[in-house]
Amino acid sequence: MRSAYLILIPALLLLLALPVSRGRYNDEFDDGEDLADFDDNDFAEFEDMNDDQAAEAETAPSPRALPSSQPEEDEDEDEATVELEDGMDGFDDSETQDQHMYSNYDQEEFEGIGDMEKPGHSMKDPLIIHTVPAHLQNSWESYYMEILMVTGLLAYIMNYIIGKNKNSRLAQAWFNSHKELLESNFALVGDDGTSKDAVSTGKLNQENEHIYNLWCSGRVCCEGMLIQLKFLKRQDLLNVLARMMRPAGDQVQIKVTLNEEDMDTFVFAVGTKKSMAKLQKEMQDLSEFCGDKPKSGAKYGLPESLSILSEMGEVTDGVMDNKMVHYITNHADKIESIHFSDQFSGPKVMQEEGQPLKLPDTKKSLLFTFNVPGMGNTSPKDMDALLPLMNMVIYSIDKVKKLRLNREGKIKADRNRARVEENFLKQTHAQRQEAAQTRREEKKRAEKERIMAEEDPERQRRLEEAAQRREQKKIEKKQMKMKQIKVKAM
Amino acid sequence: MSDLRRPAKILRYKAPSTESNPTLEDPTPDYMNLLGMIFSMCGLMLKLKWCAWIAVYCSFISFANSRSSEDTKQMMSSFMLSISAVVMSYLQNPQPMSPPW
Repeated sequence: MRSAYLILIPALLLLLALPVSRGRYNDEFDDGEDLADFDDNDFAEFEDMNDDQAAEAETAPSPRALPSSQPEEDEDEDEATVELEDGMDGFDDSETQDQHMYSNYDQEEFEGIGDMEKPGHSMKDPLIIHTVPAHLQNSWESYYMEILMVTGLLAYIMNYIIGKNKNSRLAQAWFNSHKELLESNFALVGDDGTSKDAVSTGKLNQENEHIYNLWCSGRVCCEGMLIQLKFLKRQDLLNVLARMMRPAGDQVQIKVTLNEEDMDTFVFAVGTKKSMAKLQKEMQDLSEFCGDKPKSGAKYGLPESLSILSEMGEVTDGVMDNKMVHYITNHADKIESIHFSDQFSGPKVMQEEGQPLKLPDTKKSLLFTFNVPGMGNTSPKDMDALLPLMNMVIYSIDKVKKLRLNREGKIKADRNRARVEENFLKQTHAQRQEAAQTRREEKKRAEKERIMAEEDPERQRRLEEAAQRREQKKIEKKQMKMKQIKVKAM
Repeated sequence: MSDLRRPAKILRYKAPSTESNPTLEDPTPDYMNLLGMIFSMCGLMLKLKWCAWIAVYCSFISFANSRSSEDTKQMMSSFMLSISAVVMSYLQNPQPMSPPW
């Protein structure tokens, strides 16, 4: 409702503003036109063409024209036109009369008779009437660009309303089909984090016109599950047009966060070839732990289109049991990626210069990205097709809890993690040293300032002495250490 | 089938991307906002009608793409600015806009 009002008010203002700005202009122009007409009529009688005949005819109508001013002007107009016609006719008649007269006469006697015909022709040349330029016209048609713009805006608003409603209907359809399953598995379904008590809101949390969230919590084996319905931006006309060039589909992203004891240490991912390549480049944990290129899924009975990224073969064997393979094969077209990791920390962060990084915080997570069938032309009915995938998610949660690596696998996994940590420390070693150095210098400077700031000379002297003693002690300690190392080396 | 729900283990929802930069995910509304303001300034100062119209479009696009966390004051101010740019251009010069071709 709020957003509808927000659109309506400015749109109304805009539509009202246009006629207001135009109104004044209209009146001025109209007056001018009428005046011009009157001018023409007043001076019509003085034009050369009607001079001879008009002079005679004018005297006749003038006594008749005395009674009133308005009808007089009209009569003059009529008479003027009548006069013109009469004049023309009269002129023609006289001309032809003259011609006949002269033709009876001797040709040699009169010269230049042919010339008399020419002025007549020039009178008969058609009048060229130029069209008034568009910006001087006073009609709605000249504002066609503005009308186009406003129509475009109206089309945008219409598309916004339609797109918003469609997204909302799709989200509601998804929720209705999954509600039962979620409520039977989680104690808390739907939470926006703002209410005081942990009570299920029982509905989706709308983040955007095209993104809906749902938080579920309160189950064995996991801390919580965040479901994000990432729909296409149907409310934005530009996006709709861009999608005509590049088709895209709606996505459902699910992130399950697990407790420490719920998952053993392994990193694993399966999905379409393109998404696997992208994830391996982007994700911190996949790039560090799954160094090899994605393997084809055909080895484990999956369709050719899917590939697998894994820390070690044992992990793949453990995850890809029959039921999992069955799930994935049946719904391969809807699966974009599935990512299980105990070292998940999000995408790689761009390191800034001069900033020592701690190892990023990791969280044991299962991430699923599903494509909604329909590739953009989704209808609410298609949401039911995603229900088996949610079943797969629940099954995975239980499975991961039970999955434990054997001894060798565990040793390998621990070694991997130690290796990654060491690499990280080495890379940042120089940075950390610099940081430590700067910190030490800062401390010294702060102390010196404090000593300087002391007003009492007595206290100043005492502080200086204390600082000197501390420095001496440090140097002695270092010397002792060096001696010890030398002794040990020997 | 035993009940797998554990009300005791409920964890409250914490909005995930408040720490990480939300503009990294989709900078469109911010860009459009900025563009809208620039165009409306151009339209007002240089008395160009087409600038003012593009500013109106930009503010509409920014509104359509906005996140719910963004406050409405920003949206309303950019709307009002672009509409005032259009109205001012027409008050100063009521003639219709001529196409660039």
